[in-house]
Order: sequence, then structure tokens, then C-alpha cells
Amino acid sequence: MDEFQEILEDFLVEAFEMIEQLDNDLIELENSPNDLDLLNRIFRVAHTIKGSSSFLNFDVLTHLTHHMEDVLNKARRGELSITPEIMDVVLESTDKMKALLEHIKETGSDEGAIDVAPTVKRLEAIFGGEEPAVEEGSQAAEPEPEAEEKELSEMSEEEVEAEIERLLAQRQEEDRKRREAKKAAEAAGTEVEQSEEKELSEMSEEEVEAEIERLLAQRQEEDRKRREAKKAKQEKEAAQTAAKEQKSGAPKPQKQQEPKPAPKERKTTVEQTIRVDVKRLDDLMNLIGELVLGKNRLLKIYDDVEERYEGEQFLEELNQVVSSVSLVTTDLQIAVMKTRMLPIGKVFNKFPRMVRDLSRELHKEIELVISGEETELDKSIVEEIGDPLVHIIRNSCDHGIELPEERVAKGKPAKGTVQLKAYNEGNHIIIEIVDDGKGLDPDMLKMKAVEKGLISEKEADQMSDKEAYMLIFKPGFSTAAQVTNVSGRGVGMDVVRSNIEKLNGIIEIDSEVGKGTTLKLKIPLTLAIIQSLLVSVQEEYYAIPLASVLETVRITPDEIQSVEGRSVLRLRDEVLSLVHLADLFDVERVFSMGEHAYVVIIGIAETKIGLIVDSLIGQEEVVIKSLGEYLKGIEGIAGATIRGDGRVTLIVDVGALMDMAKSVKSSMQNLEDNVQKGEKSSPEDYNILVVDDSKTDRSIMKRALEPLGVTITEATNGVEALNIMKDGSKSFDAALIDIEMPRMDGYTLASEIRKFNKFKMVPLIAVTSRTSRSDRMRGVEVGMTEYITKPYTPEYLMNVVARNINLNVPEYTS
Amino acid sequence: MNNQIEQVLKKQQEQQKSPSEGEIEQVVQLVGFMVGEEEFAVPILGIQEIIKPIEYTRTPKTPPYVLGVFNLRGSVLPLIDLRMKFGLSRSKENEDTRYMVIKHNDEVAGFVIDRLTQATRIKESAIDPAPETLDDEHNFIYGVGKQKDKLISILNVEALLKRDF
Repeated sequence: MDEFQEILEDFLVEAFEMIEQLDNDLIELENSPNDLDLLNRIFRVAHTIKGSSSFLNFDVLTHLTHHMEDVLNKARRGELSITPEIMDVVLESTDKMKALLEHIKETGSDEGAIDVAPTVKRLEAIFGGEEPAVEEGSQAAEPEPEAEEKELSEMSEEEVEAEIERLLAQRQEEDRKRREAKKAAEAAGTEVEQSEEKELSEMSEEEVEAEIERLLAQRQEEDRKRREAKKAKQEKEAAQTAAKEQKSGAPKPQKQQEPKPAPKERKTTVEQTIRVDVKRLDDLMNLIGELVLGKNRLLKIYDDVEERYEGEQFLEELNQVVSSVSLVTTDLQIAVMKTRMLPIGKVFNKFPRMVRDLSRELHKEIELVISGEETELDKSIVEEIGDPLVHIIRNSCDHGIELPEERVAKGKPAKGTVQLKAYNEGNHIIIEIVDDGKGLDPDMLKMKAVEKGLISEKEADQMSDKEAYMLIFKPGFSTAAQVTNVSGRGVGMDVVRSNIEKLNGIIEIDSEVGKGTTLKLKIPLTLAIIQSLLVSVQEEYYAIPLASVLETVRITPDEIQSVEGRSVLRLRDEVLSLVHLADLFDVERVFSMGEHAYVVIIGIAETKIGLIVDSLIGQEEVVIKSLGEYLKGIEGIAGATIRGDGRVTLIVDVGALMDMAKSVKSSMQNLEDNVQKGEKSSPEDYNILVVDDSKTDRSIMKRALEPLGVTITEATNGVEALNIMKDGSKSFDAALIDIEMPRMDGYTLASEIRKFNKFKMVPLIAVTSRTSRSDRMRGVEVGMTEYITKPYTPEYLMNVVARNINLNVPEYTS
Repeated sequence: MNNQIEQVLKKQQEQQKSPSEGEIEQVVQLVGFMVGEEEFAVPILGIQEIIKPIEYTRTPKTPPYVLGVFNLRGSVLPLIDLRMKFGLSRSKENEDTRYMVIKHNDEVAGFVIDRLTQATRIKESAIDPAPETLDDEHNFIYGVGKQKDKLISILNVEALLKRDF
């Protein structure tokens, strides 16, 4: 039973692969009906499926393919020319065949699901030399598979093979019956006579071959008899009707072929591929994801180590290991990604058929030109991309391409062309759908959108042409004056957009009235690992998918202008609306915008906005992790990733972000108010942190600062100081830090403090007896603002502190 | 010497016996903890692990009691402040604070609790269903366990892990 299951699976995979090709071949055939190669190829598909399905006892399928084979065989021999009407029937039977295969896939049997009788009747009618009737009923001939068996001598090599298989199957069936009979007989206790024929399964290879030979000889003998019978019958028929000569195939043999037993050759072909469960590949991909995280972490640690132990011998070795690990990881990642790649042709294959059907339905002449079908994409994306493409192509055919008369009147060829192109561009794949139809009229689109209340008139006025084209993706928008069967129900294009955005893809439209429309989809090669731009807002980090980042600019606050309460930025010749990421995500504002801010310009299709962030961290490859069921679908967040330092960073959903941006008002003004509130009125409002492990030193510093009248907080080591600062109950205006301390020294403390954005500007003053140049250098590196060496005069210390916190030194009036 | 060994063996036997006796009576093992001034408990089988506080990342656009997400050995899990979920002020982290990682089916999340108390065994017969009068907002309570000297609210793991925003 297991073996049967295996054979069945192989059969299904093979059959589906063949059918994909079949559809395309059939369309091509319609264009060049006399291409013998093509016909042979198509014929072989029908034949192979018939052969295997009869072996597997799928009677309905066999019945159907058998009749297809007959018609195709006739065409192949030039006795039948393929008209579009005949093609319709052939295509219909292909569809039935597909449906049957699907049914077999699901249930393991082909019975009961699909009624093939009408299709078979039509095929028979064609075979009988008639034009197919739209409604069946006239021709009611019983299918007679027996009579239609072809003679061995007329068969091609493949056919002979199939025939042998069939005979063997028959033989096995006989064996089985005999075995059962024997068993029954044995059970009844009667004497069993030794059967002369051995069972197939017991035979050696030579014996099997001999058996095949024997069966073939037997079959030839049968053929001979049948031929004679047919001849007699034909003579009778010929006398009756001279017109219907071509009735049930007594075709003239085209070429004689030697029947030879082929099965032995077949065994020699080596398996080049193995089939792997997709689940396993997914697991593998997840593991690679973990590895990439590990690699990122390693790189970060290496950077830290490099900084600390610069020039040391072991660094070189470590460097080698780290780079080789990171190289191998990257290669591994690419290799695994490749195993999941499928050619996009898998999706493209169904379109020729679709376009053909559409053009017949719409009474248009449309040619679909496909290129780049070998371009590869991740399996999960290939699965998702099909539906959007169907919608787009339907739209191009329905709304884009004009009727032939119209086209001729415009001086275009009557036949319209839709091009479907795929190619790689960096980490992305580009799919272009180009039609040479009537193009999009931006003014008409705007008018329509205003009419439907999708946009206001004012919005329409400000819209560029490209933005206007994007209107077709708005829900509820349909430009077709007439709702056809094909498209124009107002659903579809907005679904296309959301589907593409789900894949982190981007849509672009270009069009020229009268010339045609180009739709460009830009889709990442894989979903699991993406390139991202890391940005920070206050203390928080976010990853923006790099695919949606158009550019980044550094600005000063006064470059931000306000138009109707919204922040905008004039960038070259464009006015860009701005939104602060902190406003979108309600980030608590701890410190005000510095001298500079960065604007990340993100865009989907033609809409773009500027996202203000505090700083750009850099580009990083991140592994997308789901947030789980509990946090699924938070507005503006697409997922999370784990960074090199083990922290979680959220990945923004650019599409949602742009929607959110519309409803957010800038809070720049609020921020300024906050800053005002924090203004210091007297010296006591200034907080100074003194960090030193020696009580004496702390007292000296305290005494030195007394004249300033500032508030002083003490800490005895780095850890304590850091906790006091992080606690946030006091905000410090400066810190005096000793270098040599237990638990955490001053250098480490300073670098830890600098890790917090809100402490970036706090003056850190090192107070130490370490005086060497390298010590000073180290201090500057970790972010010390000033370096005071012990011993110092109290006035000096006071002046340095006062300067750093912008406080006037009180006049001595002693 | 022999005596000692005998005693040890005896002790072991007793220890082995007591849990098996308990199981006959359908005992639930609970882990007790404090949230604010009140003691709660969760069935031990609902707990994946209990960890010391680690760094988490705030998630925007979520209710305040969702503190954010944290990284537990490569998986990103939500972190929920039980104090805030129960309408108290936000927890202030201290030495006793723990993240309790609770799991039900495939749903996993971390919950901030103020302090662990003890693991207890309680007979199922000693658990009363949650009082009916409690409104919907408090349907996190699975039942009230009666102990010698106190009552303990047993939380419904499934309800805790259910997203309610």
C-alpha cells in the first residue's frame, strides 16, 4: 500500500508539472497550428497521463485523457486542423483533467467528483470530424475503448512503453486474481494444481523481459486479428457511406517503428533531485535566522573587544575567526534561501491561458509576452504573488487594451500586447506588467475619485500625476464605465496593493494616455531576513525595512516649516510632509531635539513622507520574528528582531505608518514648552553627581563646589552612580567622576552613561591622579567632557563645573 | 551506623509515600506570589519558568499594562505588568521582582510580579469557584483556594493570556 502511495505521489507531481507546460503549449498551438513538434509534445502529455492513470486504475481520468489523446493524435497526423472552437474543447478537457488530478490529490480516487461525460462527448464529436456543438446531444456514441486501441506497429516509442506498462499491470492483476483463487482453494482444502505461469513478482529480470516479449507477441497476434476484423468492417462501411471515411481510426501508419522493450534503459537514469518537505526547509530557515542573530552579536562583541584591546596580538586571530564565521553564515543563509527558491515561471505559466480566455471573452486581440520566467523567488512569495498578478493582468486586458476597431482607428496594431517581465535588481525582484493600451488619464482619475468622495477637490488639485495613478488602488475605485464579468467591481486593485505591501513590496505606476501603462512591482527575494535601517528616537530603537527607505537627510530644526499646522520640509523641488516618529509611537520626550535631526524619507509607491528621527544607527540585516498572538497587529509594527546585544528591536510597518501619519499633528511646539518648564531659576536647581570611593575626596569636591550653591549627590562607585542616574528621580546637570573605583571604574561608568541618549549631553568631568597622555585619550574616547588632574585648587574645580553647567561664578566679596 | 541508614531509608520511604497519597486526593500544585498587597497563585503546570527581570523593549500603541517585549533565548515574548493589569500603580522594580513566564497551549507571555511566596499543594476540593458577583473585569480568577490561615486567589492562565485590547 505504501508503495502504491509513493507511486501515486510521483504520478501526481509529474502530472502537475506536465500540465503546467501543457497549458502554454496549447496556447502556442493555437497560434501555430501546424507545429508538429508542439503537437507531439502535447500529445505525449495526454498519453503519459493516460498510461499512468490506467496503471493506477483511475478510470474516469483514463477515459477522458484517452479521448483527448485521440483528438490530438488526429491533429498530429494532420487530419484535423485546430480551430479556436476545437481549442476551446481541448482546453476544457485540460481543465477537467486538472480538476480530476486535484480530486485525486485530495481523496486518492477520481470517482464521483467530476462529470467528464459532456466533455468526452464533445471530444468524440471533434474526433468524428464535426465542429463541436456548443450544447451536446446530437452525438451519443458510446465510447468503445476496446476498438480504439491502436496497433503496436503504429506506436511511437513512448506509446510502446506505456502499452507494455499497461500489459504488465494487466498481468499483475491476473497474478493477483490467481493468487487469491489459489488461496481460496487452499483454504477449501482442495488440491492445488501448480500454475504454469510464474507470478511476475517472482521472476528474475530476464524472465520479466521474456514475459514482456511474450505478451507483446500475444498482443501483436491480437492486433492482427483485429485488423482483419476491422478491414472487413471497413469494407462494409465504405460501401455504405463514402463520405465518412475517417470514422473511427484506421489511420495510415506514418512511420514504422521497431517495438523494443525499453524498461531496462529507464533504470539507468540517476536521480538528480530529492523532494523535501517544505516544513523542514522552514525549520532550517528558522535555525539560520538564529545563526544570523548570533553572527550579528559576535560582530558587535568583536567591535567592543577591538576598541578595548587595540593592538593586541590575539585580536588578529579573533578577527580571522569572526570574519570567517560571518562569511560562512552569510553563504549558508544564501544557500538555504536558494533551496527555497522557485522560478517565477510557476506563476507566470497560468497567464497565457488566462489572457487567451479573457481576449475571447472580451472580444479583444491580446498577446501576452512573457520574459524572465526563470527568475527565482522564495516559495512563500511565489505563492502570494499569484493573486495580485491575476488582478493586474485582468485589469490590463479589461481596462487597458482597447477593442481592435478602436486600436486600428488610433493607428495602433489591432492586436494589443501585454508584457510580463521579471528580473532581479539587487535584493529585489522586479515584476513589470506593461500594456500598450489606452493608458491612465490622471485628470479623469482625479475627477472620478472626487466624485466618489475618496478625496477632496483640494487634494485632487495638489496631486501629481503619479499620485493620481495610485488612486486606482483605493478601495471602492473603479474606472470601468461598465462593470464587466472580468473586472470593475471595485474590489481587486486595493487588494493587490495590500497583498504587495504584505510582502514588503512596492508598487509603481507609469502611464501615458494613448500609449499604455506600466506597473512595476518591487518585491524582496525573501521574507524572513531583511535589510533594515536602524534609527533611534529618544531611548528607543526601530528598524525600518530598507526597501521602503528612499533617502535620508540631515536637517536643522529651522529647516522644518509649518503649513496649516503640519510640518513640512522643502527638499530640492519637492515639499515633503514630515512626521516625528516619536509622535507616531508616543515616545516619551526626555530630551529635546539636538542641533540636528535626521529625516528618513520613506515611500510606498508614489506617496512618500519624511520621518523625523533623532539619529541614524546604520544598516543591519535583521531576522523578522513574529510578536505572537498576543501582540499581533499592533498599529505600525510589522514584527520584531533581536539585535546583536540581545535586545529586542521593533520593525516598523511602513504602510501602516504612512496611514498613521495622516492623523498625527506635530508636537514640536509641545516639546518647546516642556523645555521651558525645565528652566532653572536658582543655583539649587542644579544637580551635580559626585562619584568617588574615597570619602575624603568627596568632601574636598563638595567643599570646592559649596560657593556655587548647587545640590550635590554622592555615589561611592560606578554601579551606584549609574543606578542613581538611571533611576530618574533627579536629573543631573553634570557629574564629577573618579577613575579608579571598585566595582565599576570611571571609564566604564562614562561609557555606560553615554549609552543613554538622554545623558548624551550631560558634562562628565574626570577627576583623577592619572596624568599620562594615554589616560587622557582614554577619557576622551569614553565620552568625558573634561579631565581634571589631582591635585587641583578648589577654584579651578568650581570654575570648570560652573562653565560646564553655564552658571555664573559668584563674585568673591571677601 | 546501621541505625542511621535505617533511619534515612525510613525517611525516604515516608517522603515517597506522601506525594502518592496526595495524588489520590487530586492535589493541585500552585506557585504563590504577591501582586501589590494580595497573594495570588498559578497552577505550576501553567508556568514555563520564572526569571529575574531583564531588559525589555516598549511596544507603542498598546495598553499601559503591556510593558513591551523581551527576548527569552531567542523568542520575543510580551511582558505584562500584573499590578497595572489589576488596576494598581505600576510596579517599581526591586530585588524581589520576577518575570513569570506563563504558557497555555502555544501562547506564552511574561508577567511582572512583585515577589514569589511559596509553592503549595492544595486539594482540589479545597478550591471554591470564583464568587459570581465579580464583574467581567475580574474574570482572571479561576477559583479561591482555602488554606489553614488564609485564602488565595488562583488565576486563570488562559484568561491572563487572552488579548483584551
